[in-house]
Amino acid sequence: MTGSTLAGWKRNLGSPALPYVSSSIYTDPEIFEEELEKIWRRTWLLAMHESELPAPLDYRTTTIAREPVIVVRGEDGKVRAFLNVCPHRGALLLREPAGSLRTSSPSGSTKHITCMFHSWQFDARGECTAIPRRRAGYQDRLECAEAKLHQVSCEIGYGGFIWLHLDGNAPPLADHIGDAFEDMRQHLEAEPLEIFHHHKAVVSTNYKLWHDTNSEFYHDYMHHFNRVTGMQQPGYFDRHYTPYKNGHVTVSSMVVKYNAYEHGALALAESRSLSFPGLEQNGWKLLDLFPGITVNLRGSALRIDTMTPLSADKVLIEFRGLGLKSDSPEDRARRVRDHNTIWGPFGRNLPEDLLGVTNQGRGMAQGAEPLHVLHGRVENNAIHDELGLRCYYAEWSRRLGRSARAPYSETQMDLYAAPERTLSSGADAE
Amino acid sequence: MTTELSSIERRVIAEDLIYGGTLLLDEQRFEDWLALTASRFRYRIGAYSPEIRKEMTWLDHDRDGMHALFELLGKHHVDHATWFRHAVVQRVTQEGPETLRAVTQLAIFHTSVDVGDVHVEAGSTRLFAVARYHDELVLENGRWLLADRLARLDTRQLGIGSHVIV
Repeated sequence: MTGSTLAGWKRNLGSPALPYVSSSIYTDPEIFEEELEKIWRRTWLLAMHESELPAPLDYRTTTIAREPVIVVRGEDGKVRAFLNVCPHRGALLLREPAGSLRTSSPSGSTKHITCMFHSWQFDARGECTAIPRRRAGYQDRLECAEAKLHQVSCEIGYGGFIWLHLDGNAPPLADHIGDAFEDMRQHLEAEPLEIFHHHKAVVSTNYKLWHDTNSEFYHDYMHHFNRVTGMQQPGYFDRHYTPYKNGHVTVSSMVVKYNAYEHGALALAESRSLSFPGLEQNGWKLLDLFPGITVNLRGSALRIDTMTPLSADKVLIEFRGLGLKSDSPEDRARRVRDHNTIWGPFGRNLPEDLLGVTNQGRGMAQGAEPLHVLHGRVENNAIHDELGLRCYYAEWSRRLGRSARAPYSETQMDLYAAPERTLSSGADAE
Repeated sequence: MTTELSSIERRVIAEDLIYGGTLLLDEQRFEDWLALTASRFRYRIGAYSPEIRKEMTWLDHDRDGMHALFELLGKHHVDHATWFRHAVVQRVTQEGPETLRAVTQLAIFHTSVDVGDVHVEAGSTRLFAVARYHDELVLENGRWLLADRLARLDTRQLGIGSHVIV
């Protein structure tokens, strides 16, 4: 009897003509740590929407590459971000996911961030305003001005989203986004947006596998909903990918036939009479931003996926749903219903997507023989083309200085194959 | 004609309906469960998000919508776990001669079959969610039936989520 060896079978598929990556990039803890250092600590990340901080002194907390972060709207209306760590003894300053500094804490006065441990206080600009018994303990060796919070770079834009970069002297956000947002701009910046949905999932998989799923539509075969409302409808195979610099891609629109998701005479997903400014009725556009942000505009609802990688095999995914700030209560209810029919935690599609990437996480377990993972569908950039994956891993390889195909090779410096077509915003790297 | 029910009568009506319903849901006998609902039945799943400081509605369907969801389960890839709903009716009040309201505490346990590292984890049980049912019960054609249910979740992290209601 003859058969393949385990290693031979796992690396049987894939070649320069049939692009692939090594599954080690999804499983190796050392590569994961390197990603935190070279990608997540050094790039702009969408953290939240400005409507999550509607009033002066509202705050939100989050985490970037294990660093806890505060985002706070000052009394001057400006949004700033700081490391959520007291410079005194390293305690976390704000513990709740959201709140208002208008409410005093047991240790401090209103309008301030107060460390519960020793009552050091900071204002919404990050300035230290009080160190209890400072002169008695530190004499003239420590002034409040020296104990300000570490400022994290923060910009608002591209639909009113709040973007963070751990480096306080980060390059402009526009350098990172480039032209990738231009097609979405008409829909998301015509009028203010407002958040109506947020939920989280901790999933046993590598974060890139979630972004991979958001970057290819071939997996529509998994979704009954997408097959009947999309793949079986005119225009589906006309959708196409456009790559941009820095690993971003967009997907063009189609008219989705929502009411094809039916049982008997009952359409479970009604035709979406509501839309976004400038978006065709029942249209669907998508933008994937490196290293793990997806802007998914579908009919009446906007979904935003963001990720916090926890380890090589675990990721926190946050899902947001947004409508227009001007929505009537009836329109808002319509958007919520449309959003959750497919994207809520009890929706038709989201559990299937999460099940899919959980299965990938299991199929490529840490320590198992590395597998060649195919990214090789080439269909003239049309909807089942895997251009989005190839575009992402070209940027990933550039940032890490590793080939996604052969991540341990010291001699093989051919970074992952560049996308087949000219990048829309210039091929020059960030 | 029923008028003012005693506390024992109220509790027996509510417990029979709610506990019987949770068993049917555990057994995934969804059509039998729908038979316990009134013609104007509405079912919602809700939660409060401290992140965005808003109430959220995660599922909202009438009786026909629920029937269609159940019928379409076979066309979706679902978590085939077995579910165990531990319910405790906490409060039953009467709002009119033919209307009761009940609040029920719920802990839902998930016994894994086919999600994750199946070889290792299948058969293991974890707490999926804690929630409260806020129910309206009505007398319709001589039977007490469920007219409205809000399943309000405390748990907001549900892993991959679920195609099956709580």
